Amino acid sequence: MIQLFHVYKNYGPNVALNDITMRVDEGEFVFVTGPSGAGKTTLLRLIFGVERPASGHIVIHGINLIRSSRHKLDLLRRKIGFVFQDFKLLASKTVLENVAVALDVTGQPQRLVRKKTHQALRSVGLADKEKAYPLELSGGEQQRVAIARAIVKEPLLLLGDEPTGNLDPDLTKEIMMLFRSIHMKGTTVVIATHSRELLEDTVQRKIVLSRGRIIEER
Amino acid sequence: MTLRLLPYFLKQALVSMKNHRVVYLIGLGTMVVSLLIPISFSVAFTNLNAWIQEWGRGLSFSVYLAEEVNESKTHAIASHIRALPGAEITEFISKERAWTELKRTLGSQAGLLEGLPENPLPASFEVLFKDSPAEEANPQKIKRMLENIEGVEEVQYSEEWVNRFEGILSLLGVVGLVAVGLLSMAVLFIVANTTKLAIYARREEIEILKLVGATDWFVKTPFLLEGLIQGVLSGLVALLVLYSGYLFLSARKVQFLGMPVMDFVFMPKEHVLSILALSVILGLLGSLIALSRFFDV
Repeated sequence: MIQLFHVYKNYGPNVALNDITMRVDEGEFVFVTGPSGAGKTTLLRLIFGVERPASGHIVIHGINLIRSSRHKLDLLRRKIGFVFQDFKLLASKTVLENVAVALDVTGQPQRLVRKKTHQALRSVGLADKEKAYPLELSGGEQQRVAIARAIVKEPLLLLGDEPTGNLDPDLTKEIMMLFRSIHMKGTTVVIATHSRELLEDTVQRKIVLSRGRIIEER
Repeated sequence: MTLRLLPYFLKQALVSMKNHRVVYLIGLGTMVVSLLIPISFSVAFTNLNAWIQEWGRGLSFSVYLAEEVNESKTHAIASHIRALPGAEITEFISKERAWTELKRTLGSQAGLLEGLPENPLPASFEVLFKDSPAEEANPQKIKRMLENIEGVEEVQYSEEWVNRFEGILSLLGVVGLVAVGLLSMAVLFIVANTTKLAIYARREEIEILKLVGATDWFVKTPFLLEGLIQGVLSGLVALLVLYSGYLFLSARKVQFLGMPVMDFVFMPKEHVLSILALSVILGLLGSLIALSRFFDV
């Protein structure tokens, strides 16, 4: 469960988030939307614990991020998958190594790491690309590698920051299907997007941000 | 952190060193040179010390005879000297031989001696005291014993010379320690900068590792291993270079200040281990310094 209480965040004189109070229940699928600069990415980064708010409290699965040590935040991040708009893949490592890194940091035996990585790559349809390097893949394939890395650790929470921002409509549909299937297995999913097409015909809850404030929830 | 992760960290460190081999080789070369200087000091110090001790063990005296001593008296003095514990007469230099050698030493300036009415040089015995018991090896005591022999006018020995060398040795020790201190700082600087370059080269990977939940130590450990490997390698290479030099010199009998030098000795095992330990500590410390700037250790 995600809970935010009166969260403020600013970068110098620019206010990125202004008095945000919200809640996402366990197993929920939520879209955070709004125009560019509304504060979507900042909100996700705060939930992920890579940035700290100026004030307010953020509680993820019972852990108050403001009061947690760096080490505790590192451990919490192992339970959260994050899919970045720019994929954040390492060009010098193979697809397999890029995905396995999320498990390597947990210290699991390499045999288990390999097994889980193969499974994750199979679930995103990239079983035959394990030995390829990211730059040898299409944009859609790279995004699927990033998703495989986010889900390989079987996270309690999956965050996506414009995960289809660089993809064409067909690939967008394909990626969204993936997110829905992950959600079906019980993972809480929060997707930040400004794409209207993505939100059409969706039954999931939408939180609309504008200039750092929540202006609508539907 | 479990030991199970050690192979993973080692692989990361070795892959990184392979990918940035030019940077590491330059760093390694500089470290080897920096380490060679204090190690050379250590070897020179060990050898000089050994030589001086050896000279001290074989005390050499020049026993000058009085003018009026004739041949039979000279034989009597020789018997007297041989009777002393550990004494061995290595040479007898007659008045005539002393005169000839002085003229040869003066060379073209030997004409200076022509004005002298007669040969003023005394005959002398060169006496070596070897393996005498410690209480008998006191040079002052031996000198007094030799002076008490009838017909002996003066006794000289190499005390001043040995003392001077011991002074030089102490000075070398101090210079060596200062050199070790300064060069250790240089080595630290080199390792810290090599690690910093490695961190810059892998900053994208570090960012991703942190995003997937790596702890600071998980990220730091491969860099520490790189520093450790760099330290061990530089220590080993420096010792190997010096050992090759030692083998080369040992194969030749070197002369020092006109005297044949005893066999060369390499550093004692404790010094070798200390140098390796120092290299490891410097490698680790250099990496830690670089990492502390990135991770707020």
